[in-house]
Amino acid sequence: MFMTSCAAVIYSNMFLLSSKRILKFSWQHFWRNVWLSIVTITIIILTLFSLTTLILVNAIAEAAVNSIRTTVDVSLYFDNKISGEAVELLRNELTEKIPEIKEIIYISPQEALDEFKQKHQADADIQASLAELESNPLGATLILKAYNVDDYPQIMEKVTSMQAETLAEKIDYDDHRLLISRINDFADKIRTFSLVLSLIFIAIALLTVFNTVRMGIYIHRKEIGIMRLVGASNWFIRLPFVIEGLFYALFGCLIFWGLIFLVLNFIAPWINNFFTGINFNIQAYLIANVVNIFGFELIVISMINVISAVIAMGRHLKV
Amino acid sequence: MIELRNISKTYPNGTEAVHNVTLHIRPGEFVSLVGRSGTGKTTLVKMIVAEERPTQGRIILGGWDITRIKVAHIPLLRRQIGVVFQDFKLLEKRTVFENVAFALEVAGYNKKRINEVVPQILRLVGIEEKKDVFPDELSGGQQQRVSIARALAHRPKILIADEPTGNLDSVNTREIIDLLQKINKFKTTVMLVTHNREVVNSLKKRVIGLEDGRIVYDQLRGRYIL
Repeated sequence: MFMTSCAAVIYSNMFLLSSKRILKFSWQHFWRNVWLSIVTITIIILTLFSLTTLILVNAIAEAAVNSIRTTVDVSLYFDNKISGEAVELLRNELTEKIPEIKEIIYISPQEALDEFKQKHQADADIQASLAELESNPLGATLILKAYNVDDYPQIMEKVTSMQAETLAEKIDYDDHRLLISRINDFADKIRTFSLVLSLIFIAIALLTVFNTVRMGIYIHRKEIGIMRLVGASNWFIRLPFVIEGLFYALFGCLIFWGLIFLVLNFIAPWINNFFTGINFNIQAYLIANVVNIFGFELIVISMINVISAVIAMGRHLKV
Repeated sequence: MIELRNISKTYPNGTEAVHNVTLHIRPGEFVSLVGRSGTGKTTLVKMIVAEERPTQGRIILGGWDITRIKVAHIPLLRRQIGVVFQDFKLLEKRTVFENVAFALEVAGYNKKRINEVVPQILRLVGIEEKKDVFPDELSGGQQQRVSIARALAHRPKILIADEPTGNLDSVNTREIIDLLQKINKFKTTVMLVTHNREVVNSLKKRVIGLEDGRIVYDQLRGRYIL
């Protein structure tokens, strides 16, 4: 009788109203402790900086490797005496016998000449020499592209063992694997460094939020005692501290991304100079991925803060 | 209303604060629980509001066995028992009205209901005109009235006053005791925990005496005889 008379009142009692009041209490916790809140948010921003660096290093390394991969190919240059049909036959044979080849681009003697002219249009001597010639001195070219950059040595081996070597005047292959491997090594090192830095900042963020919540519990100990006395539910007492942690995460992320775009406006051209040749625009990348990265970071930081708040409450808030 | 059956409480350090206490307080009774400091009065209060659990025995409130009450149900219990203390426990940054409203806010009452209930309670305890004043602008007696008003916010069936006059002069003490008697007239069971001999003797109500955690006397129209 005693319990049931009030249980209905309590549990049916305006969940939304309680939620609003919990938010109000969380906001009060945030502001009454504003200096500690600023320190906490600063640590979160530093954590976000290292996390975002980690994400950017991955993206830049991938862009660099991809741009090198697209330049890798095997080129077969033919003498102009070799007929188009013979080259075409060889092309078919290569396609059939070397499955590692993704595509073979055929450049006819005329296309080769046009390209050559185009490339040297500013050079009057070359243009004059070409005009003197009665026939096209250039032969056809076959450009072989592989599915995988690691397949080129195998493709080279097969090409040289076939008729191709006798037909082709010159076989050209630049091995970029060493460069790719160096880029990957370098990116790995930066990635490891960023990862370690991120873990250090995550640990600092955990401790900072833990301490902030602990201080909050201490500052509000009288209020908490009265809440218990007058029958506030456990979640009503505890949730403001969890939500306070979520406020730190949200403000940290918003301020960090605001700063990122503000700073990038000024330094983007300077930064992008570093990436000429690898087709990477840091501003465009961040704008295109802001929702994903922001969401990911908000979730990670929120989880860190909630875990810290829960641990702090477990140790210091007996309800 | 309050039934304690063979209650004992031993703390982890081995101290036995309460030993085999059995008592029954009927609805609407006014009971004084007396005894010197450290005789187990506050431990008994803590067990009744589920702040401590008895080591042995059973506690039944209004037919509800709270001996092994679930943590989630403790707030429900505390909304049925008003408690006031010697040190008032008021929030300094909230006005009188807000202090009383706080008890209703945390329980999810809406603003309209709070605006109806709080003035009624403030009127009952005689402090309505001070509703917009902060606690530190009030006398001790007035602060205790606010504390009682907050304890009454949920219209509890039981009011426990743990040394409510400990910080008050004789005039204010009398006023607070009169207020507790007035509340008792509205059928609220009142348990007054005190070691103030004059107060107990003037009440001429039931007195339960505790010594070394044991009930040493229980008189219907009793006096402070320890």
